[in-house]
Amino acid sequence: MFVPLSYNFRSLFVRRSATALTVLGIAATVAVLAGVLALRQGFTTMFAGSGRSDLAVFLRPGATGEGDSIFRRDLGERLIKTLPEIAADEDGRPRASLECFLGIRRSRVGGGETYVPVRGVQQQTFALRGEELTIAAGRNFNAGSNEVIVGQKLDGYVQDCSLDDVLTINTTPFRVVGVFKSEGASQSEIWGDLDRVMAALERDSPNRVIAALDPETDVEALNERLKNNEETPAKVLTERDYLTSQTAVLSGILLGLGSFLAAVMGLAAIFTATNTMLAAISARTQEIGVLLSLGFKPFPIFLSFLFESLLLGLLGGVLGSLIALLFNGVETGGMNFQTFTDVAFAFRVTPKVLLIAIGFATLLGVLGGAIPAWRAARLTPTEALRRD
Amino acid sequence: MIRLVWRNLLKHPLRALLTVGSLCIAMFLLCTLRSVVTTLNAGVNSAQQNRLWVISSVSLFVQLPPNYQEKIRQAPGVAETCKWQWFGGFYQNEKNFFGQFACDKPELLKMWPEIEVIDGSADAFVKNRIGCMLGEGLAKEFGFKVGDTLPLIGALFPGPDGAAWEFTVEAIYRPSRPTLDNRTMFFGWDYFAETFRAINGGEESDVGVVVVEAEKGRDITEVIAAIDGMFEGGPQRVRTTTEAEFQRQFVTMIGNVPRLLSFIGGGVFIAILLACVNTMLMAGREQTHDIGILKALGFTDSAMFRVLIVQSMVLCVLGGLSGILLALLSAPVLAQVLQMFFPGYTILPQTLALAGVITVLIGLFAGIVPAWNAARLRCVDALRSQA
Repeated sequence: MFVPLSYNFRSLFVRRSATALTVLGIAATVAVLAGVLALRQGFTTMFAGSGRSDLAVFLRPGATGEGDSIFRRDLGERLIKTLPEIAADEDGRPRASLECFLGIRRSRVGGGETYVPVRGVQQQTFALRGEELTIAAGRNFNAGSNEVIVGQKLDGYVQDCSLDDVLTINTTPFRVVGVFKSEGASQSEIWGDLDRVMAALERDSPNRVIAALDPETDVEALNERLKNNEETPAKVLTERDYLTSQTAVLSGILLGLGSFLAAVMGLAAIFTATNTMLAAISARTQEIGVLLSLGFKPFPIFLSFLFESLLLGLLGGVLGSLIALLFNGVETGGMNFQTFTDVAFAFRVTPKVLLIAIGFATLLGVLGGAIPAWRAARLTPTEALRRD
Repeated sequence: MIRLVWRNLLKHPLRALLTVGSLCIAMFLLCTLRSVVTTLNAGVNSAQQNRLWVISSVSLFVQLPPNYQEKIRQAPGVAETCKWQWFGGFYQNEKNFFGQFACDKPELLKMWPEIEVIDGSADAFVKNRIGCMLGEGLAKEFGFKVGDTLPLIGALFPGPDGAAWEFTVEAIYRPSRPTLDNRTMFFGWDYFAETFRAINGGEESDVGVVVVEAEKGRDITEVIAAIDGMFEGGPQRVRTTTEAEFQRQFVTMIGNVPRLLSFIGGGVFIAILLACVNTMLMAGREQTHDIGILKALGFTDSAMFRVLIVQSMVLCVLGGLSGILLALLSAPVLAQVLQMFFPGYTILPQTLALAGVITVLIGLFAGIVPAWNAARLRCVDALRSQA
């Protein structure tokens, strides 16, 4: 026979100040864990979530990212012209574009410096992007002119990145003619004409080729083939894989930070839960005696107290998740160490994050309740009743 | 009275231990998180006042033309200049990452008095064309010793025969201030530039960064304006910053990390505070009966107040001290783990003091409510209560 659950609910309610303090303690732990996970989620979703698997990125063999990839222009053009895997549009032109990329020093609106990615693109890039990218204000830049469009996240965050501002790269002034909207990392980028941007940066070589591939293409095989190719050496990966590879370091740091904090704070929360349950049980020794003498077996009593502690954890988990939900959507930003550029992203409290948080809190409750519940179950009726 | 406190604590040894444990964890976290923030700021706070960093105004990754150093040297107020060129090679495989810079060796040693050569000799480092100087941490990590040959694969710059570069370890340094980390390798500009010329058909290499030492007593802002003004018309504009500003920019670039850590620290603090208040309240409530007896025996209100405060203090101080100790003991390990992102992780005495003060405050705060209750309690009520 099991001890009725209402017994536990009531007992938590009767000792409400102790319950509240314990629940708050667990909630704080869970909120921190959920917060860090939500930050990581926000960063990876923003950066890599919109990466497409039907687009391929071609880098210099051995390059780890666009920043250290120098793709000679003649090689890039030859690649676009000759690679059979690159899809063609209705007019028979290859659906591919050369792009250059550099994190440039910019002042933030609120002060301080940051590195903002500037990307020089060819007109084909817009065909490749299609609906992904829409002009929210102003217009697109004209090919061959010193005009740029900026991602929506930069407007108001970085100086000279609002409509009609003049943005100077080294000695070349560019006019901001449009603000664009997109889902991925490009919302923190400045886009301009490939040739004009390269001229301003005094560069001869772009950084990558981006292309739409025929759907049947085996990208890994293509990579193997081009890796040591004499004519057009390149490292090939899908855009999604490329972007994911660029998030590994920061995402790893956040995961490490979250796990470390959760482990350490969780230990403290277990201690608190144990303390609360110990006190709860020592105050109810007599009641336990009564239960035992009524014929309840030790195991149901053990379960009963474990359940009470689990409830504590669950309450803490729910409260902590609610605290974390307050941050959902809050914009923040940080340095992606791999691209060495500033990215804006938001806390994203996803169901998965909530599930982990509540699961963790419940685990804390169960672990915290184990010793006290075991103690309670070991009592003998006479001993328990004798205590004052 | 001390014995009374002791007895009370030992009455529930597990509970006392758990309270000490949670405080230990709290103070450990507090010290650690705070130290990450102070480590981040250490470079800013100890920056050399008259060292200026001349960097392309476009990006740290855009280089300066070869003749810039000579021009900068002519600027009014410039006493000394030193090139730093990021090399970006790796040792054996790409995972073995550390900073490597080609520098003007004599100027490097002159302008950075915080470089203390602890093994080998600075002279040999300067004289040997392929000589290099390693940070203490780096040498330890890979087991490099003075006299060793160190091959590097140049990911950005191919070596003399198109393959690896070879260096001889001539000196090991220890930075006496956190403006430099102990995981960097320095080698001579000449070796780099000559190899570069040979590979690139006589072309001069560009320069990454030029560091300037301003003349003593000069107005820094004037020196900065003079240098920046020189290249206003191109070919490559520069933006000169003080070393403090340069370091601060790196810190602000990391974004909200310090704020995030403070936020987490706040969460931890509140959680632990609640836990302690909770335990003390429970302990106080359970002692109601005992307090009644003690009061009946003639203990004064203030004596009871003190007993409960001291009880709380003992637990908290024990926990706090062990947490601080734990933080100190784990510092070398954490420094190792964090060195990629927060090089030079150290716990400052101020952080320890802060943790100490907070411990005492928690002790006081957690003890004061039960102590106040105990002092106010009438012994009739207390005795009547069934603990």
